[in-house]
Amino acid sequence: MIWNYFLMAAGVSSASWILSAFIPKKDVIRNLLVLIGILSMAVYIGFLWTSLERPPLRTLGETRLWYSLFISIIGLITYFRWRYLWMLYYCLFMSLLFLFINYLHPENFSKTLMPALQSPWFVPHVVVYIISYAFLAASTLVAVYGLYQVKREKFEAKYMQVADNLVYLGFAFLTFGLLFGALWAKEAWGHYWTWDPKETWAFITWMGYLVYIHRRYQKLAKYVSALWILALAFVILLVCWFGVNYLPSAQFSVHTYSMQP
Amino acid sequence: MSKTTKPLWQKPWGYAESFLIAFGLLFIGFLLELSIQTSSGASIRYPMNLILGAVFLVLILVFYRLIRKSNLYLFLSGIPASIGAISVLTLLVIIMGITPQVPMQEDNFITTLSLNQLTTSWPFLFINFYLLVILALVIIRKGLPFKWKNWGFVCSHLGLWITIFAAGLGSGDLMRLKMDLHENKTEWKAYDDKGNYYELPLAIKLNDFIIDEFNPKLAVVENETGKLYEPTKPSMIMIEKDLTAQLHDWSVTIDEFLPLSGRAGDRYHPLHDFGAAPAAKVSISTNSSENLTGWISCGSFNRPHESLKLNDNYSLLMTVPEPKKFSSEVTIYTPDGKKEDKVLEVNKPQTVNGWKIYQLSYDEKMGKYSTLSVVEVVKDPWQIYVYIGIFMMMIGAVYMFWRGNKVTINSEQ
Repeated sequence: MIWNYFLMAAGVSSASWILSAFIPKKDVIRNLLVLIGILSMAVYIGFLWTSLERPPLRTLGETRLWYSLFISIIGLITYFRWRYLWMLYYCLFMSLLFLFINYLHPENFSKTLMPALQSPWFVPHVVVYIISYAFLAASTLVAVYGLYQVKREKFEAKYMQVADNLVYLGFAFLTFGLLFGALWAKEAWGHYWTWDPKETWAFITWMGYLVYIHRRYQKLAKYVSALWILALAFVILLVCWFGVNYLPSAQFSVHTYSMQP
Repeated sequence: MSKTTKPLWQKPWGYAESFLIAFGLLFIGFLLELSIQTSSGASIRYPMNLILGAVFLVLILVFYRLIRKSNLYLFLSGIPASIGAISVLTLLVIIMGITPQVPMQEDNFITTLSLNQLTTSWPFLFINFYLLVILALVIIRKGLPFKWKNWGFVCSHLGLWITIFAAGLGSGDLMRLKMDLHENKTEWKAYDDKGNYYELPLAIKLNDFIIDEFNPKLAVVENETGKLYEPTKPSMIMIEKDLTAQLHDWSVTIDEFLPLSGRAGDRYHPLHDFGAAPAAKVSISTNSSENLTGWISCGSFNRPHESLKLNDNYSLLMTVPEPKKFSSEVTIYTPDGKKEDKVLEVNKPQTVNGWKIYQLSYDEKMGKYSTLSVVEVVKDPWQIYVYIGIFMMMIGAVYMFWRGNKVTINSEQ
């Protein structure tokens, strides 16, 4: 029953989201389709919640449903505010991806998460990072392109405005990621911040973008240094994302989820 | 392009001075660390932290009154000073992100400079202190007199300030103690990392400790070393009834799976006994040799484990099951005579008399037969202030999302 309804809901969401990708220009219909996809997910999660008689947050499959829901909602809100069509489609793509993974792996609905991950903070914590990294990656593309244009002496000030906006939005979500993590840690382990290697690197990433933002706040004309800061900040972000596990400091991280025998 | 550079320390100060000051603080911090190492155990407790905090606040205000008409104020509340402080703190945290932050015995430059416990070192303290001063002056400059158009700026910066201030001062008052609860016994004493015992204003009786386990997994180990053999992934497969799976070169079929069993004679039988362990009858076929059939069990604290020899080099075994969920059913008594039944679970703490009680662990050797439940009791009187700071930062982040690059566009015009 739960599985059949999942197929139905995921089918409606996927169909409407994929359809919306074919009509990027038809604003109203496209947004309506996106909204239908979101509603279908929301209704399904609601159904799951009532039929399981508990919040559907316990299994891998369940958390992925929430990812789909929240990511698409944030995509739509961001679109309404900033008209980034690429971001809307990125979000829909990510949502579809999570639905698709669930479709391929029905067993994920019965795979219980480890106790520490069974928290209402887990889903938002991950979701805002997925959004944030997309914005910050996009800002890096702008930075690299900007530096290239500087070299060719064809730089235009409007690039900086694009970069600024992307960084501000990405930074807002990054801040949420850190703070959700802190609140979760407090609820689960009694302490906000333990300087776990992943936390430390997330903090360094945050500080990196903070430097960019402050630099831009004052010296608007000096964009070259700002562009370099932006490019460098993304390198730190990558260390935080992939590199942490290879550092000597990572031996006791709570963020490494390798299965112990 | 020719640049006119201003001599150092000539007013107005800029980036050079900002970085010099920040690095200077770092340098002094490390010198202090060389001469007097901070003892990581010492912390400032109530009421000292409250007094120190108040003094710090007053000093900042006095400092502001004294310098508010000077260039120093413009410098300290300006962007270069902020960037200098942020960058140097970042540098310090990068060191922290690379060196393992664990106590070490050896005597080398890492331990003499406390690079392995930076959060309790002088340089870290200095930079944070400097950052708090700068941040306070920034907030004063933007916030006084208050203008509505600056609310987002003030909200996020003040939120950060409150968070650092309250978390820093509160860390001395934070009590994190552990309590060993034994089934059907009442406990009111808790102990800290150093083994000091404290009496709590509450007592906990453990009625039942419940543990829900995943099924055990199949794994292959090297006979000689006992090491996990993993030429291909996955190297462990969860046992399920009637499962047939390919584990490396062997095809393993689960003929029978008994979650609770004991060995009698040549086979295992279902058994509901204290210490009964999971067991499985498996058939193994390889493309080369003949089929193999036998029983494996991971055993328990009072039953031996049994593995199946695949050949001279490798054996198949069953891993100890991992916990899916564990919880404690407890009765909590308070001095006012109240008693309450609660369930403690990971991620679901309970609050009683200002103490938060977290499910922490259990006797892992006993596994599901553990009659011991270890809980953590935490008292953090400053939590509410940290939360206020965090929520202000969240509001600031929403504001930032909504305003986007209007900030820089406006200042360009």
